[in-house]
Amino acid sequence: MTAVLEVRGLRYELPGRGKGEGGRVLVEDVSLSVAAGETLVLLGRSGSGKTTTLKLINRLLEPSGGEIIIAGRPATGVAPHRLRRGIGYVIQEVGLLPHLTVEQNVGLVPRLEGWPAARIAARVRELLVLVGLAPDQFAGRRPHELSGGQRQRVGVARALAVDPPLLLLDEPFGALDPITRAELQREFQGLEGRLGKAMVFVTHDVREGLLLGGRVGVMQAGRLVFLGTADELRRSGHPEVQAFLGAAA
Amino acid sequence: MAIGGRAVGQSGGRRVRAALLLAGVALGCHRGDRIVVGAKNFTESDLLAEIAAQQIERRTGLHVERKLHLGGTFVCHEAMLAGQIDLYVEYTGTAYTAVLKHAPGPSADSITRAVADEYRSRWGMVWLAPFGFNNTFAITVRQADAQRYALHAISDLARLAPGWKAGFGYEFLNREDGFPGLARTYGLRFASPPTALDLGLTYRALADGKIDVIAGNSTDGQLDALHLVALADDRHYFPPYEAAPVVRGELLQRHPEVGRALAELAGRIDDATMRRLNALADVEHRDLPAIARDWLERTLP
Amino acid sequence: MSLVRFYLNNAQEVLGLLGQHVLLVLVSTTIAVAIGVPVGILLTRRPSWRRAVLGLANVFQTIPSLALFGFLIPLPLLGGIGARTAIVALVVYALLPIVRNTYTGIAGIDPAVREAGRGMGMTDGELLRLVELPLAASVILAGIRVATVVGVGTATIAAAIGAGGLGVYIFRGVAVVDDRLILAGALPAALLALAADGLLGLVERRFAWR
Repeated sequence: MTAVLEVRGLRYELPGRGKGEGGRVLVEDVSLSVAAGETLVLLGRSGSGKTTTLKLINRLLEPSGGEIIIAGRPATGVAPHRLRRGIGYVIQEVGLLPHLTVEQNVGLVPRLEGWPAARIAARVRELLVLVGLAPDQFAGRRPHELSGGQRQRVGVARALAVDPPLLLLDEPFGALDPITRAELQREFQGLEGRLGKAMVFVTHDVREGLLLGGRVGVMQAGRLVFLGTADELRRSGHPEVQAFLGAAA
Repeated sequence: MAIGGRAVGQSGGRRVRAALLLAGVALGCHRGDRIVVGAKNFTESDLLAEIAAQQIERRTGLHVERKLHLGGTFVCHEAMLAGQIDLYVEYTGTAYTAVLKHAPGPSADSITRAVADEYRSRWGMVWLAPFGFNNTFAITVRQADAQRYALHAISDLARLAPGWKAGFGYEFLNREDGFPGLARTYGLRFASPPTALDLGLTYRALADGKIDVIAGNSTDGQLDALHLVALADDRHYFPPYEAAPVVRGELLQRHPEVGRALAELAGRIDDATMRRLNALADVEHRDLPAIARDWLERTLP
Repeated sequence: MSLVRFYLNNAQEVLGLLGQHVLLVLVSTTIAVAIGVPVGILLTRRPSWRRAVLGLANVFQTIPSLALFGFLIPLPLLGGIGARTAIVALVVYALLPIVRNTYTGIAGIDPAVREAGRGMGMTDGELLRLVELPLAASVILAGIRVATVVGVGTATIAAAIGAGGLGVYIFRGVAVVDDRLILAGALPAALLALAADGLLGLVERRFAWR
């Protein structure tokens, strides 16, 4: 299986205050790869660099060093907005456009890509069904008329709209109540298998990570201190990993 | 009208009376020793008001309050009627046509007499002796234009009017002795109606070439500085405008020494002197009280 | 009421001055929007310029209207007496509310929405067109509304420099101490301001997104 996403030696440094003086390094020497159909969970505490790593992959932040290769092509070779059209991006706050309907939100990227209206409409229906929202009921609603869970379902549908090979998710269920979160986690687990996409899933919740991830990477102070399967994680002796497992118990 | 004169209840307590006196002063009701001098909204009027105020102060020791640059003729007249000012400097011709609303025409002397009589009989206001100069409306053009088109008198303007732009202040446009009568007398027909704008801005606009003719004042200090020239009133359209202090009769009754002090100013300022004093203010930008003080010390020591 | 009779007797002049007044405000506000909105957008891209630009617009605002008109008269292109100078001055006064509201309207957008927009691959232009402007529209319109209402009031001063408008009645009334004339100018100006406020307020509310 060829990797959809390959990251080698990724590094991100904040601009320094003066000449020749470097700033804080938020990500240092991170290497990983994700194949099609695989979900890599990035685990870490706040400030560990996991969200920063995610944003480096879709160039919302520009890497200071290292390589990113997506579907065989270097990420730096394309214009950032072109790159991002081929990557699904789901964030915790969802970020739906409040002045557009659910249908218009989900169909946004296809519209930017110039798809014909009929094709967009069909795709939107398909996606809404996929994420568990009845199209006739929800297509015409506005974001403020939806619950938190419903909004994030729309967020996922939106990310899948043009069928990108890679999906980046930054603590997508973090803002939801425990019951809704559990519900969405279960449904997402079901989706994973069917979609066949490469996914990088950032979370600070070990149980969520173990539930959803094929492999898990643990980040600490900007470095990847562990990368392996769920079983390998449970057997690892690394102090940070131990801390996470202990907290989850 | 001092508040102390009214019965302050039956208590007669000193503290109560003092408090009421203070309140009265605060409310401006206690006018016993306060004199208010007003002025119209141009330099010459302010300057003459300042001269009058200082003369009263130095000769009588009374305190004088200044309310300068109030507004036009009508604003000052209303202020006098309301008792908000006690005196200001007015011009005989202006009083005759604009305030008393007579048609211009009679001789200078008959105008002066009529004005004095009617002001006294209608409003109890007294015209003191004039300062000695005639500040008439000066229909003003640029020196360059005057030379190019050989303009000396207002009649010369008639042939150029259709191609020229005129600009006047709001008062001149709406006074009987202002633009309407002037246009009729001299047959002035401009391409479009004259622009109405703030009087102070008309000089600027003329000098900058934005308009071609304005109605300034013959004693203005800026005429030479801005290279402007006044045209002669060959058909004698404008009545004489002799400047004199107009005082509320009630003030003169209360303080006859004010009348005596102001009488010293009679005939002391001729056209050239007024122009020079105006120039000190408008061209050299000297402080008005200083100009007044210097002149008084030199002329009436 | 004698005011009504005044309007009836001078209908042509009243309508003419009203028309001049409306034109002054309309033209100047349009120009101010054409300049101010792009400047406001620019400030969101270059935050370091914000203090200087807003500071400048603020200074303009504090110049007394008659003084500004006076400064402008001798200038070669923009100056002179009449409507053109008045429009320049009115544009200057309209800039601050429009620039500032454009800036705060766009800057105040939920950062998550902006991040989602960028993350899904919108170009800067698409972000501006599909996200920022629609979401900031209500605030921007509020700025335009304020600028217009202020403009109606300031335009009365235009009569001092020969630009016409309802201020002509006011200045004439002040010069000859005729209250009825002053009212004849001030009343329609006030009504005009109220109407502009109400109308633009309606449009503004249509664009208010939760």
